[in-house]
Amino acid sequence: MKRLMSILVIAVLMLSLVACSSSASNGEKTSSNKDVVEINFFHRWPNEPRKSFYDQKVKEYMKAHPNVKINVDSVLNDSYKEKIRVLVSNDNLPDVFSSWSDSFAQNLVSSGRIMPLNDILAEDKEWSDKIIESQFSGFTFDGKTYGVPFTVDGKAFFYNKDIFKKNNIEIPKTYDEFIAVLDKLQKAGYETPLVEGLTNAWAISHYMGTIFQRVIDPAVTAKDYNEKTAEFTDAGYVKGLEIFKELTKYMGDVSTAIDHEAARNMFASGEAPIVYMQFAEIKMVEDQSKMDFGFFDFPEIEGGKGDPSELTGAPEGWMLSKNAPKEAVDFLKFLTSEETAYEFTKVDGQLNAIKGAVDEGNTSPAIMEAYQIVLNASKTTPWFDNAVNIKLADIFMRGGQSLANGQETPKGIMKEVQTEAKRLKK
Amino acid sequence: MYRKKIKLMPILFLLPSIALLLVFIYIPLIQNFYNSFFDFSVFSQTKTFVGLENFKVLLTDKVVSVALLNNVKYAIISVVFQVGIALVLAYILEDRIFSKIAPFFRVVYFIPVMISISVIALLFGFVYNPQMGLLNSFLELVGLESLAEVWLGNSTTAIYAVIAMSQWQSIGFITMLFIVAIQKIPKELYEAADIDGAGKIRKFFSITIPQVREAIFVNTLITITGSMLVFNEPYILTNGGPGFSSMTMSVHLYQTGFVKDNMGYASTLAVIIFILTALLALIQIRLSRTGKDD
Repeated sequence: MKRLMSILVIAVLMLSLVACSSSASNGEKTSSNKDVVEINFFHRWPNEPRKSFYDQKVKEYMKAHPNVKINVDSVLNDSYKEKIRVLVSNDNLPDVFSSWSDSFAQNLVSSGRIMPLNDILAEDKEWSDKIIESQFSGFTFDGKTYGVPFTVDGKAFFYNKDIFKKNNIEIPKTYDEFIAVLDKLQKAGYETPLVEGLTNAWAISHYMGTIFQRVIDPAVTAKDYNEKTAEFTDAGYVKGLEIFKELTKYMGDVSTAIDHEAARNMFASGEAPIVYMQFAEIKMVEDQSKMDFGFFDFPEIEGGKGDPSELTGAPEGWMLSKNAPKEAVDFLKFLTSEETAYEFTKVDGQLNAIKGAVDEGNTSPAIMEAYQIVLNASKTTPWFDNAVNIKLADIFMRGGQSLANGQETPKGIMKEVQTEAKRLKK
Repeated sequence: MYRKKIKLMPILFLLPSIALLLVFIYIPLIQNFYNSFFDFSVFSQTKTFVGLENFKVLLTDKVVSVALLNNVKYAIISVVFQVGIALVLAYILEDRIFSKIAPFFRVVYFIPVMISISVIALLFGFVYNPQMGLLNSFLELVGLESLAEVWLGNSTTAIYAVIAMSQWQSIGFITMLFIVAIQKIPKELYEAADIDGAGKIRKFFSITIPQVREAIFVNTLITITGSMLVFNEPYILTNGGPGFSSMTMSVHLYQTGFVKDNMGYASTLAVIIFILTALLALIQIRLSRTGKDD
């Protein structure tokens, strides 16, 4: 009896092991019970208002299509980057998920698990023609398009108009003027005239991307941002990092301990007069306070070789997994339809790449102003952490934190970057 | 016939656990050694053999030295607090004077152990916040503003802030282990010491410490190997920053693998961590064996 029991126990254990491994391989989408198609939907906004917006849209879609069940999952920015990298390395990649453009997208595409969308886009012209053409470039590699751009964005200094007026400050046109403004604000009693949450590595990369674009000859950056030809020997990089270091002096001690959200809150509460932010954040500031704010582009740097009217910012969009069911394609079309996009901008405030889905009706004057800046920009520079290889970007971003702390010098960082660049070329 | 069956039984019993161990521990471990000689990314399936290149990089990687030093700091401070102070705490709690309120304090000390580390790290993020954090506000309240710091944003204080948090969290667990060990000490020893006129401190050094020796070894082992592997606390609180001043080996490993997508080198780091912890464990097991003999 005892023996029988033990054999039974072992049998159960072994079975459960087998069951574990088999369920792992069976768990791949399209569970065929009763023709319900499951779509795994993964986005990067567990924070409001987008979380509710997408939850709502998913509900709407499931109501209209009773044969589809959508599982939603979401994690925030930096964690999203890490999680999607893990997911893309095996077959559990979600069917529909969000992605940044350029090198981030390229990395995902290189896994061979992303669906090329050329045929789908060509098939349904009515839908694809609605998307602003220029925004596709960040998702197109070797002539194949792997993503549908949805949000467009740009980065600018937001400033508190009241504080500027009170202190008789004009919008700075050049970098030197900008430093003079910061000095003046500091004298007027603002401990941190410019603030940033430097614990967020991407916030540092946004600064550096813009500074390098302004300072360095575009031909040099084009060569260095490509990992096969990267050298990073131009003196402009050291100058760029020195500029970044100079700016961090105005951010105070707190900057290395807070995140970007805290910095935005400091701006909204009037504690910090200037913050470098994305247009996507306009609505968040508007929701938080009644203050009057405007924005100005990163000022021209004297002696800089880059086009001073270029805008830093890149679209974000949606990608499909290679094994995504055709219902997922339909869901993607739903996500990027004019109606969804119009409502999205109304709820969230972020601009989108769908023609006709941004107008005075769903935005504020400030957002409309930003939309014009995006449409009129001579060219857009992708986010720095998406533009260069992540190993190099990481040295720059961590180096940025060390620069702010005075633990590292611009030259030291560039030396490290150069060695890493050499290693990457091998 | 009967005998044969008997012999089959233990093997059958062991099979599931051996299978689990193989699949989840030993095979990945061996595979990791193998991987450390390659250069590859999670995105692509091709691996290029680079031989000992990754180990060469390791020697020039200055993050490794910072991370190792941080792990050592972690280990030393943890041994002092979690083994040293926890033992004293356990002794006090087991003292007759406190027998009434000891159960209450035992619960108090044990509660942090039961809270998820992520929750604790987020909470301590608020404690250390430079603008409205509890710690700085407290220092201000008692007139010690000069000691206020940007705890997590300063490269010299960040790692200590992280270590302090895990002391707060883990001390209760070790205390609990010591309480169990102290309760096992025969009461006669203390009674005999009482007759000899020994005081509380004398009894602590002459009876408690020698009697809980085994427990001290085990707890030191747990804390030291734990400190070599520490990941959650620095990852959530500082993500290794500012710069890489609060990086530990595990955080460095994780970021090399999953942020910088350098799986081969991450495997190399894993090999180093494995060798270090295995060595430490061996040394301590050796030491505790000799402890058993006398």
